Amino acid sequence: MELIIGGAYQGKWEYAKKLFPHAVWVNGADCTLDELLGAGGVHHFHDFLGRQMEQGEDLERLPELIMEKTPGLVIVSDEVGYGVVPIDVRDRAFREAVGRVCCELAARARRVHRVVCGIGTVIKDA
Amino acid sequence: MLTVITGGSASGKSAYAEDLVLSWGPAQRLYVATMYPFDKESEKRIARHQEMRKGKGFQTVECYTGLEWIQVPPGANILLECMSNLAANEMFQESGAGEKTVEAVMRGVCHLERQASHLCVVTNEIFSDCQPYHEETKRYQQYLGEINCRMAQMAQQVVEVVYGIPLYRKNTVETGTERSGNLL
Repeated sequence: MELIIGGAYQGKWEYAKKLFPHAVWVNGADCTLDELLGAGGVHHFHDFLGRQMEQGEDLERLPELIMEKTPGLVIVSDEVGYGVVPIDVRDRAFREAVGRVCCELAARARRVHRVVCGIGTVIKDA
Repeated sequence: MLTVITGGSASGKSAYAEDLVLSWGPAQRLYVATMYPFDKESEKRIARHQEMRKGKGFQTVECYTGLEWIQVPPGANILLECMSNLAANEMFQESGAGEKTVEAVMRGVCHLERQASHLCVVTNEIFSDCQPYHEETKRYQQYLGEINCRMAQMAQQVVEVVYGIPLYRKNTVETGTERSGNLL
């Protein structure tokens, strides 16, 4: 599994597509869990987490599930949580959940890339 | 010796900081807890952190304001968490330092560093977002930003943790000379 993170609009997906030109992508903003688990890559992964939360799904098992079903998945996610803690309780829960899930994914990932201005830096290479 | 650990929310800073302090050996471990339990959510957070450091041999001291006055055993390895809470307490609580938050906090950090064998301070990156913040919130960012910069100047190590991965922004421990950037 490869994890590609960074701020919004940093060219993360473009970077990912160059690295993995043959991956079949799904969009986290509208894909189902099954579609995600059958894909080569997922972008807007944080949106997928947000939608799962709205539906009351438990995210705790998701990292493990991904490793079981699709261990080669390329995951592109916004890195959130670099601002002041939001006032809205759901906003707080969302950035907390993205952080926790991404920590678990980073621990399992073969590589973690962080993209700034379209430029990726490999911050973990297991 | 001072190590500053920073990162975003839920980035794995605490777990990394705890492991780091454990790696410093068997000296007495002190945990300076700064989060004030003002509602259910903060109580839950505090409980989560207590659970995380269970069995790691930390003695906990609560300190919401006035860090410079707390008594710590000399030669201990100290973990302070989190600077973002301490700064907010000093700014907004009645017993706090208000406009003199930065100075009060820095006196506290120096006090701990002098007493400790090793001091690790966990702080928070709250500076990269574009929500329309209130003046007071901006002032809070300014104070915490200044505290972070000043601690980083004093520190031998500054580590940004990204989803559990440590990026060393400063490390003068092994070589005795300052190195910047990612040490992988």
